[in-house]
Parts: sequence; structure tokens; C-alpha cells
Amino acid sequence: MEVIKGQVWVFDDNVDTDQILPGYAMAESFETLGNFAMAGSNIPDFPKRIKKGDIIVAGKNFGCGSSREQAPVALAQAGISLVIAESFARIFRRNAINIGLPVLNADLKDKVKTGDVISVDLEKGLAVLGNNSFEFNPLSENVLLTLNAGGLINRVRQELGVV
Amino acid sequence: MNIVEKYLARAAGLAQVSPGQDIRCKVDLVIAHDVTGPMAAQQFEKIGIDKVFDPNKVVIVVDHIYPAATVQARKMQLIVKDFAKKYGVTLYDKGQGVIHQVISENHGQKPGTLIIGADSHTCTAGGYGALGIGVGSTELAAAMATGTIDLEVPEVVEVYLTGSLAAFVTAKDLILTLIRHFGTDGLTDKAVIFSGPGIADLSKDERMTICNMGIEMGATISCFATEEKAVNVSETLTVELANIVPSAACPFSPGNVKPVKEIEGIAVTQVVVGSCTNGRLSDMEQVVSILKNHNVHADVNMLVVPASQNVYDAMEERGYCKIIRNAGAALISPGCGPCFGAHLGLAAEDDVVVSTTNRNFPGRMGSRQAQVYLASPLTAALAAVHGRLVDPQGIQSWEVK
Repeated sequence: MEVIKGQVWVFDDNVDTDQILPGYAMAESFETLGNFAMAGSNIPDFPKRIKKGDIIVAGKNFGCGSSREQAPVALAQAGISLVIAESFARIFRRNAINIGLPVLNADLKDKVKTGDVISVDLEKGLAVLGNNSFEFNPLSENVLLTLNAGGLINRVRQELGVV
Repeated sequence: MNIVEKYLARAAGLAQVSPGQDIRCKVDLVIAHDVTGPMAAQQFEKIGIDKVFDPNKVVIVVDHIYPAATVQARKMQLIVKDFAKKYGVTLYDKGQGVIHQVISENHGQKPGTLIIGADSHTCTAGGYGALGIGVGSTELAAAMATGTIDLEVPEVVEVYLTGSLAAFVTAKDLILTLIRHFGTDGLTDKAVIFSGPGIADLSKDERMTICNMGIEMGATISCFATEEKAVNVSETLTVELANIVPSAACPFSPGNVKPVKEIEGIAVTQVVVGSCTNGRLSDMEQVVSILKNHNVHADVNMLVVPASQNVYDAMEERGYCKIIRNAGAALISPGCGPCFGAHLGLAAEDDVVVSTTNRNFPGRMGSRQAQVYLASPLTAALAAVHGRLVDPQGIQSWEVK
């Protein structure tokens, strides 16, 4: 997996899945979920403001609440390439990895600000902002296997010998 | 091993497991609903196999947006209906109720049954002795294909209960108090076991309410011990049940919990009773104990949503439905109702809602500004008749002023 470079959007602690993708948006077709990314947050017009490849940096417990996989799907569809948070709720973390959206545990919320451009090497565990670099635990081998396969469905296909 | 480890070891076909160990478990039941099911169906089709691992072990319940509130919601119902027909899996699509209640009533499992559900409140199953784990749609699709799930054996936190709850104090007040203690991410990636002499008096309904909100502390699994004391736990919190007081989670987090006594007097405009947390018969008993003598306040909309048709039937037999209607509350057909802001009673920005559901995140029930308080059915019903928050324990008589 190559180095991910993008503009940062900083969010606070406890961004729940109702903020990432509100309940009403779950009655919309899958193809349009990206239009509702972060629609319940304090940046409701998020999809219009971001560029493809942008990165979310958040505090504790990102993705808590509902198990809706529409939440990481919406972020990925809107163009988000990576979510970095001090910690994640378990179901969101697994959902994101399962659809091939990288998530990274690192406490960067107070070290970067919205608008900064950072480069992140997931395998080496290194984020770079200008002359500053931040180290973190690289993704586990198991997670990288799923991400590099393009998500869990591809991995299951390999395991079942469908491919 | 404790009960979580014993059950997981059995599911993994191992003699022994310990926290942190990666295991592959056989699943006993795979469940999804009309919001997570369509995406799971789509992902399952991508795998490219022609059958699910066992059609008798896959159940889909249409509960989140039933009857359909939008054309797209109806399309989602039809996607899961077609999927159920194509693969021969069980479907509840007639408004039979909320998934976790329907499963508890119709798929009476053996203790330790491993249920994988594409809904975060699958942990409710701990209330009747199963192990319920919430996942997303893709992981559910993988489980439908393989009949397995990969898990890391969780570290276990024990909540040791002694004594018994005081009058007018409910299981909801207990779990809210625990969420305040642990925080909304305090048990992330962990399991919680409720044990001790205090669990003997807790009914199945009450246990389901308690396990239901385990996810609000981040827990992977919630369950009740089958022996007095859990072993191999990382932490034990002892709670004397007599010390629990009526409590409410204030805006905008299930962890922002205060004794109702401290927030008495806050004016209320909408009250919701129902959901997988508190939509069962014993919850309705609490509501009827108030509404049988008092009408809903003029400034309040009260919505009552039975968790299932069976609950609704029992309410009818006992005359509850008439009492609820005559008091000025609206009965809504079984399902998830207004809990997650998709339909049936959305809150506007100036609304102050008391709800027996499980989440009060910004915008959860409608407007981001709407103030939602999570509380017991008793506290909710009292708020409905008084038009303001009132501490159930502070009420000397049921006279409404």
C-alpha cells in the first residue's frame, strides 16, 4: 500500500455514526451515500468541501453507535482516503477495514489542523507534516492483508477458492 | 475460563482460549434487518457462491423503516425479501417487531448460542443467555457465506451486583449509571459479565435492557454469569443495587448521565416509549401504572411502540392499549419507530424529548438541536403526564399538579 497524502479535516471526540451518516440517509440508494458523508456533523456540507484523497483526523471513540456500514462507505464515496483517530469504536473500525478504507490509531488531533496536508505511510507507521513527523504503530499484518485484497469480500473469495 | 471464554472456546472448537487470542468461531445464527440487510445481500452476491452456509441459521427482520417511509426504503425491503426467497432464509417482513425482540421470541436458543448480527444492539441477546455480537454488513455477508467469524477473545470486565433495586428504580437506571461510570468507550473491545447475588431478581426483560446498552460503553459482548463469581476478569466493579437512583442520559451522549432528581423541572414536548431497549411488556406495565390515572400533558406528544406483535398482543389482552390511547398517547405499530430519526415522530430543533431508547447523539431523533433525554419507561411516562421531568422516587402520590 502506497503512501497516502491528503488534506486534513479535524474532528473532535465521540463522532458517532449518526453524525457520519444520519438515519434518514440510510433510506437513500447506496450510490448516493457519499453525498451525505458527515451530514449530521458540525460540517453538514462536508462532501462539497472536500477533495478526493482528503484525510479525517479525530479524537477518541470515532464511529461509536450504530453498526451501519453506510457510515464508512459514505466517507469512502465522498473521497476520504484515510481516517486517523486516537481511538475507534470496534464495529466502525472493522467495517472500514472490511470495505478497504484504512483506519489508523494515532493521537494527532491536537498536532495538526484542518487544512494541513500530511503524508502517511501505513506500513512504516509514519505521518509527516512539513518538517514534523509522528510515529505510530503500523497496521497489523492481518489488517493489511484485508486492505491489500481490497476488502473482506475479496479475502473471502480467496479463502473459499471462488477466484 | 469465564462464561464468555467457555462459549467462545466451544464455538472455536478449542479446549481453552484466553484474552487477545485470535480465533475463528462457528456461528449459530446470523441476523440482519432492512437497513443493514440490503448492503449485506449486495456484498454476499459479490462473493459469487450460490448458497448461504445454512439457510436455517440466517434470519432477516424488516423493522427499521416499516411501513416504508420513502420509496427507497420500500426498495430495501424488497431487496431483503428477494434475498430471503432466493436463498431460503427466514424472513419477518410483516412488522412483527424489532429484530432483537423477534429473535428472542422465535429463535429460543441454547445458552451460549453465538449470534452475529448486522446491528450494534445484537448484544441484547446476552439477556437470555446467548452471545450476541454486532457487526457491519460486509462482515455479515462473509458470515453468511462461511458460517464463521474471526474474533479476538475479549478481555472481560465483571459487574458484580448485590442487593436489589429500590421501588421506582429500574434496570434502565442501572445500565445508565454504569455507562456514566465506564464512559461511552470504556469497554471498547471488551466483554462485560454481570454477576453476583443481585442478578437473581432480574427478569429476562430487565436483563435484555441491561445487555442492550452494553454497546453504549463500547462492549463487544454483554452477558449474565451462570455462576456466582466470574473468573479471569481484568476488573470487577461491585454495585449495590439499592444505591441506584432514577437516572437519565442528558444531551448529547448516553454517557452524560445524571440523577433525574438533579434535572427535575425541565419542560418536555415529546415522549417515546419503545425500542429494543425498553419496548417489552414489563416496560409497558410501568407506562400503564402512570397512564391509568392520568392523561398526557397538553404540551406533550407521547408515542408508544411495542417491541413486537407478541408484546402488542399481550398489551391488548391486559387492556393496556385502551388505557394508553385514552390517556392521549399514540400507539405505533411494532418496530424501531422514532429511535433513529428515519420516520414516525422526528423531533424539531426546539423539541425536548424523553425517550426510553438507547442513543441521544446530536440529530439521532431528528434535528441536531433537539434535546433528547434517555430514561426508564417510568420516568418517561411521568414526564409525559407532567410535561416536565419528575423524579419517580420523589413522587409521594401519583397526583399530577
